[in-house]
Amino acid sequence: MPEKDTLLEVKDLKTHFPIRKGVLNRTVGYVKAVDGVSFSIRQGSTLGLVGESGCGKTTVGRTLLRLIPASDGKVFFEGQDVLGLAASRMKHLRRQMQIMFQDPYGSLNPRMTVRDIVGEGLTVHRVARGRQRSLRVNEILEQVGLSARYAERFPHEFSGGQRQRIGIARALAVNPKFIVCDEPVSALDVSIQSQIINLLQDLQEKLGLTYLFIAHDLAVVEHISEYVAVMYLGRIVEYARRDDLYLRPLHPYTRALLSAIPQPNPEKKHSRMVLKGEVPSPANPPAGCHFHPRCPWAEERCKTEDQKLEGKADQHCAACWKTDKIV
Amino acid sequence: MSETTTQQNEPVSRGYWSDAFRRLRRRKLAMVCFIIVLIYAAMAAFVGIVETETFKKIFKLDVPIVRWNEQVGPSYQKPMAQYDFKPEQSETKVKGWSLFGTDFLGESTLRKTLYGVKTSMLVAFCASIISIGIGVPLGALAGYYRGWVDETIVWFYTTLGTIPYILLLMAFAVALRGREFFGVEIRGAPAVYLAIGLTSWVGLCRLIRGEIIKRKESEYVLAARAMGCSDFRILFSHLLPNVFHIILINFSLRFVSFIHAEVILSFLGLGENDKPSWGAMIDAARTELARDVWWEMAAATAAIFLISLALNIFSDALRDCLDPKLRID
Repeated sequence: MPEKDTLLEVKDLKTHFPIRKGVLNRTVGYVKAVDGVSFSIRQGSTLGLVGESGCGKTTVGRTLLRLIPASDGKVFFEGQDVLGLAASRMKHLRRQMQIMFQDPYGSLNPRMTVRDIVGEGLTVHRVARGRQRSLRVNEILEQVGLSARYAERFPHEFSGGQRQRIGIARALAVNPKFIVCDEPVSALDVSIQSQIINLLQDLQEKLGLTYLFIAHDLAVVEHISEYVAVMYLGRIVEYARRDDLYLRPLHPYTRALLSAIPQPNPEKKHSRMVLKGEVPSPANPPAGCHFHPRCPWAEERCKTEDQKLEGKADQHCAACWKTDKIV
Repeated sequence: MSETTTQQNEPVSRGYWSDAFRRLRRRKLAMVCFIIVLIYAAMAAFVGIVETETFKKIFKLDVPIVRWNEQVGPSYQKPMAQYDFKPEQSETKVKGWSLFGTDFLGESTLRKTLYGVKTSMLVAFCASIISIGIGVPLGALAGYYRGWVDETIVWFYTTLGTIPYILLLMAFAVALRGREFFGVEIRGAPAVYLAIGLTSWVGLCRLIRGEIIKRKESEYVLAARAMGCSDFRILFSHLLPNVFHIILINFSLRFVSFIHAEVILSFLGLGENDKPSWGAMIDAARTELARDVWWEMAAATAAIFLISLALNIFSDALRDCLDPKLRID
């Protein structure tokens, strides 16, 4: 699976949160937020990670940056085992891997000026200080489309879109190679969304960045991603090149997701595949294929047999045994 | 050209603190109260300065407040009344007048009340510093690290918190009095503020712990961790600045309760007994009330009342201005 230009490789990543109960705080079970996820991202490309709320996509992003401890699995960044690194080496690696967040209001410290927010990475990694740091911050702000005049302001003086730009500037300050974009546009107005997406694409082109783009909006993901992975209940159910996935979805869940995209033309008759029921709890996922209780094509075999996502990095693969039987 | 005009039209950028203090300045009553507090503080500083030997030597000045234990009149002289008085050494009688009257020993109640400002402010200020110095770091550590650190600290303060406050305060005051620490004997005011400070940090610790827990999962803290910031840096440059307003509000609210605690300790006979303090005055006045000597009690109570009222009003205004969720103006 690893190829020459693979930047990031995730192997069977698991993040389980213990459920504690009772006076003695005994662990009575686990919430399997991420339950065996594998993928790899090529240098300079974008992997879109989609799925509904609570499927574990945010946890994937945070776990591979070690913001949340992983329960099992491996993450390789340029061949280095990220999860096994010592703290000092990890600090070094953090310059290469950055993150930007969904909430433009909660992700910037309200007591710090933009200059301090963006420049903090430079201070922490001893890249620049004093006047040099100021100049570098100005440069990055201009790069993300903000005037350097705004550097002395506080986050509450900006709009949502501008705040997201500050978030991007903060991540870019330390010259990373890889950025986890954790639903960067979900909280923004549609008109602003496209501005931010275009900015991210421009920066990718200019700086050769690699993105893991987490979102629940399929249209946004289609626009920016080269590869797309669909997550359901802690697992990836389908992985393909963007066009393959959007034109020929294989997994029943992906089909349901795609058919839920609103059509611009109300006259056009459109048969919608509506899923029944709710997403099961990740603390107690169904046996066999996790999707079988809601799958219209489910059979006996689906209830007992675990479905694995198998295939090469460049292939179109789905965690479903009867993909060729469903039309 | 256009660049400069847009700059002029842009609103002034204000940070959290400058914005909050601008709001505070607009509140007239709060500012009056703040001035009263400043006058008390200035009075305390004044007494502290004029009683030093260096001041007396340099300025050759003996401010009457420092001579609070001088006999200025007959015992139990009524306030605002003229009296004839024969000082011990002299043979001739002098005419005297006293604003607040005198006590049993013929000492001026006014001088004692004014000197009490220093005792009270010193005790309340030092107790606040001690209480914040213990409560904030412990609360921050417990909230940030959780796990066994948290359990130990929580266990410690719940244990301390189960003992009734007055009892605990008395126990500390008794235990500290007359003890020597690093060659310095603890007596007088230091014994009082140590006892108050060491017993009153529990509430603040609990509050800060909760606030840190609430904020440490926020995305800006996650971003700082992703940036590779150390725990120390996250605590001091991200978390504590965001709870600092809580510490400040707490400081001003607590100040009042510490002034009261000093009175309680003095009343119990465990307070400052070398120098005048409001607590000691009220304690002394307790027995004198039966003889219709009300002015000593009244003077001390009025002094406490004024500072308490001013601080309480100011604290409430401060809270309104500092807590974004309570902002109405």
